Amino acid sequence: MSARYGMVIDLDRCTGCGSCMVACASENNVPSLPHATARTGITPMLVRKVSNGHEGSQQREAFIPILCMHCEEETPCVHVCPQQAVEVDAATGIVMQMPQRCLGCRYCMTACPYHARYFNWSDPKWPKGMETSLNPGVATRMRGVVEKCNLCHSRLHAAQEKAAAVGKREIDPADYVPACVEACPTVAIQFGNLADSNDPVTRESRSANSFRLLAKIGTEPKVYYKSKEAWVRALAEPNSTASGTLHTAASASMEEHHG
Amino acid sequence: MKRLMMIFGLGLVVALLAGWVGFPRLLYRQQQQPVAFLHKTHAEKSGVAECSECHSFRDTGSFTGIPPMEKCAGCHSDKLGESAAEAALVDRYVKPGHETPWLVYAQQPANVWFSHAIHIQRGKLKCTECHSNYGESDQVRIYEVNRISGYSRDIWGHSISRLSRAPGDGMKMSDCEDCHRQRHVDAGCLGCHK
Amino acid sequence: MKFSRRDLLVWSAGAAAGLVLTPVPWKLLDDTSIWSQNWPWIPQPTRGPVDVRQSNCTLCPNGCGLRVRMANGYPVGIAAKTNEPLTQGALCPLAFGAHQLNWHPLRLRSVRHRGVDSSFEEARAAFAKACTEGPIVVIDGFPGRASSAILESFGVKKGEYRVVWGAETRALASYEEWSGVPAALGYDLENTRTILSFGAPLLDGWGIPGRFARRWAQSAGSADPDVRLIQVEPSLSRTAARAWQWVTIRPGSDSALAAGIARVLIEERLVAARSPMPPMTLTDAASQTGLDSNAIRELARAIVAQAPVVAIARDCNPAVAALNVVLGAVGARGGIVQKSKSVRSMASAEDAFPSARAVLIDSSVPWEFVPETSAEVFRFAAWDGGSSKADWLLPAPGFLEELTDIPTAPTSGVESYAIAPALAKAPHTTQSGWQFLAAVDPSLDTPEKVIHSRCAELFRNRRGTLHTSEETPLAKIASAEKLEEQLSQGAIWIGEPARRNSFHCELKEWPADSAPASSAEFPAAWSPPVLPPLASKLYEESNLRGTTQGRTA
Repeated sequence: MSARYGMVIDLDRCTGCGSCMVACASENNVPSLPHATARTGITPMLVRKVSNGHEGSQQREAFIPILCMHCEEETPCVHVCPQQAVEVDAATGIVMQMPQRCLGCRYCMTACPYHARYFNWSDPKWPKGMETSLNPGVATRMRGVVEKCNLCHSRLHAAQEKAAAVGKREIDPADYVPACVEACPTVAIQFGNLADSNDPVTRESRSANSFRLLAKIGTEPKVYYKSKEAWVRALAEPNSTASGTLHTAASASMEEHHG
Repeated sequence: MKRLMMIFGLGLVVALLAGWVGFPRLLYRQQQQPVAFLHKTHAEKSGVAECSECHSFRDTGSFTGIPPMEKCAGCHSDKLGESAAEAALVDRYVKPGHETPWLVYAQQPANVWFSHAIHIQRGKLKCTECHSNYGESDQVRIYEVNRISGYSRDIWGHSISRLSRAPGDGMKMSDCEDCHRQRHVDAGCLGCHK
Repeated sequence: MKFSRRDLLVWSAGAAAGLVLTPVPWKLLDDTSIWSQNWPWIPQPTRGPVDVRQSNCTLCPNGCGLRVRMANGYPVGIAAKTNEPLTQGALCPLAFGAHQLNWHPLRLRSVRHRGVDSSFEEARAAFAKACTEGPIVVIDGFPGRASSAILESFGVKKGEYRVVWGAETRALASYEEWSGVPAALGYDLENTRTILSFGAPLLDGWGIPGRFARRWAQSAGSADPDVRLIQVEPSLSRTAARAWQWVTIRPGSDSALAAGIARVLIEERLVAARSPMPPMTLTDAASQTGLDSNAIRELARAIVAQAPVVAIARDCNPAVAALNVVLGAVGARGGIVQKSKSVRSMASAEDAFPSARAVLIDSSVPWEFVPETSAEVFRFAAWDGGSSKADWLLPAPGFLEELTDIPTAPTSGVESYAIAPALAKAPHTTQSGWQFLAAVDPSLDTPEKVIHSRCAELFRNRRGTLHTSEETPLAKIASAEKLEEQLSQGAIWIGEPARRNSFHCELKEWPADSAPASSAEFPAAWSPPVLPPLASKLYEESNLRGTTQGRTA
């Protein structure tokens, strides 16, 4: 009865356009922070660039959308939060972050292996009048709280309400499509219920070309990636023997940040 | 010693009076609704018997809440009677095309998601369970707003101590949780927050 | 009875004990915590129902269909129109934040005359005076719209009408020139199986962004994809990184490579038709491009291995166009096709107009375009792009703030027509170019009237299909009014597919001009001088794209 919402992201299809990033920010009322840096920006969906490490015309790049992986097992952020501001929702499997409970200790940001959590260093500001363009389905946050992807819970709410209005208990899957999934021009991001064995996403997640990032640490993320290209699959594990490398500007700054 | 005890007692009594009587009066500011709408009179005169005739669901399942001005304008595009309240509605809001700035007793914070569709269609709750018999009132209810928090008195409940509350009096998170616990419905955080 | 200090203390103790027994401390704690979380300066979204309306993006000539979520009369969210054959239900990243553009800090809100605040009355007076003193040149950046027809009718009456062509249109100009007749051309991408792209960002904002990206995605990552994308570019752009093959050449040597490939194709008889031989030798081409002669040979063989093949240049490049003639891609399936017979040629705004008394530049013209003129310039724009030589800066309606229609996209292989209704109210301090002209010449049409007559004409011609959630041939539509109503609610009219071999062009000798290649830059066809604020997610707030040099704020 209860769902486990997850994704399979086809890295062969991702062109690094960033539509998912902009659509996510728009849906979740994330302010634009043009004076932020790659470390202080708020990007609940973030696309990173990786390279196969070759030189010249043999060089290839791939783009990896990183969002909250909605870990199921020993969820790190849930474990460390002193405020119980995040919990794994029993009915949907969504790791729900509640900024209104958060006290801003940022322990969860340290705990998250995927760096998928972002801190509001200041109160969100929009130019005068722009607040009329905010999405009514999502509450704005204040400074001092952590936020992250909640799998577009406002769209889940809308789907639940629509189903309830006709007396149904189960939502229509076509009504619950997260913003990034809807925005992707190449349909690289597929979203579905991993608890449903008939869901195409469940089948994709079990294919030979599917992998998860940092699967070895055992948090059981529900976001899968897949690629036909072996060098991309090899990047999933640190210290891999593949010829690919995660050395990009993004990871370089991550290394200097986290030591 | 007796004198000191009396002074102590005096302080005690003054504090108790200030806290139980004075404080609630000071804490809440009273405001008038923009139009003196009486549910009972309206129901009798227009024959509208069900809450859902004005407080309805849209196709998407969202709830209209206090209906938009065009609902009122559906009948009151011009003055139907003699009352001053209706004149205020028609002259100040219907004719110029402005939404009436109703003061919402049940207004929740922006991060709360409450779905009337789920509670009424799935939960089979009656309107009166949370909104008491407001639909039958024949008096214009004063809107009392908490000067510090900015929310209506209905949220904390009319009783300042929150003891012996009538059903439907009080709409804080703990009130929602009490009912959910009683009926064994676990919504999680995701179920009620935006 | 004297009330001593001790009495006061005892009284206070009693009061404190009493206070604890009242709700005061607990209620104050609760209320102050709520108060501290509701700072009035943190904006809250509107409370109200959300409904969905359809329109089209007007920020580049591709006019992608949009589904816009509206709350309280303002757009609050953008998504693609699904089931749309042209966009395939996809948009570019900028569209998703475009609804915030109307409150961009650089939004133009008042008329400025040489840096000083002025008014529309004064501007109109100055323009009316100019009209009596000499010819007026009207410049349009997005020709083919209903308002373009109005601008054109004024321009033709009072002086001249000129057009600013975008890079995608310029890339198709050579074929038209060589055929000798005006022709509306496009790419038949749906049937192409190999694309040799000379710097055109096919996966990053070229043409209608979703059109090729969707087709490409279906076999992306495969060693043997359905459509082979070969990207020729000096640096590793997004498109090059994901292409089937990346050919890296020295910057500016696109024409040399095109010539080298054509030479190999002709010498090795890899192409059927007789074509003029490029004067450049293979060795020269190799040394100019930095590639090996053998590499060029391999490339030439590779591109004809999976036909049909077409070469796409980012901008006007006669050598690449000549390569297409050699490949037999002109007028062929999967190549350059003619989508409309009836087209008038329009004069370019890049050509000089020395005798103009005044110039009116529509808000659709990119800010970077500055005409070479000493005439009085009336510049319409919705956003301020920085220093401007225009005498008059006139605030125009912004995103989705006025009714317009969407003519056929520049690179599309078929004709199309859509109506983009206004979804938000334009501020009363703004005016469109055509509205301004109507004040001077009241006999001008309005966009509503032009759209109405266009729908009537479409209906009369009875060609093509109307796409909603189903496809209806135009012959089955009941009336022109019904057609207009459907179009206003999100339907799109698609013309008939181009007939093969209906377009020919002659190439007697290899073109001498070689246009310099411009570096690939995103966004390709975006016309406003500012980007949506949320583009900062892609530029400043992440490492995905680098900086915008200040265009987001």
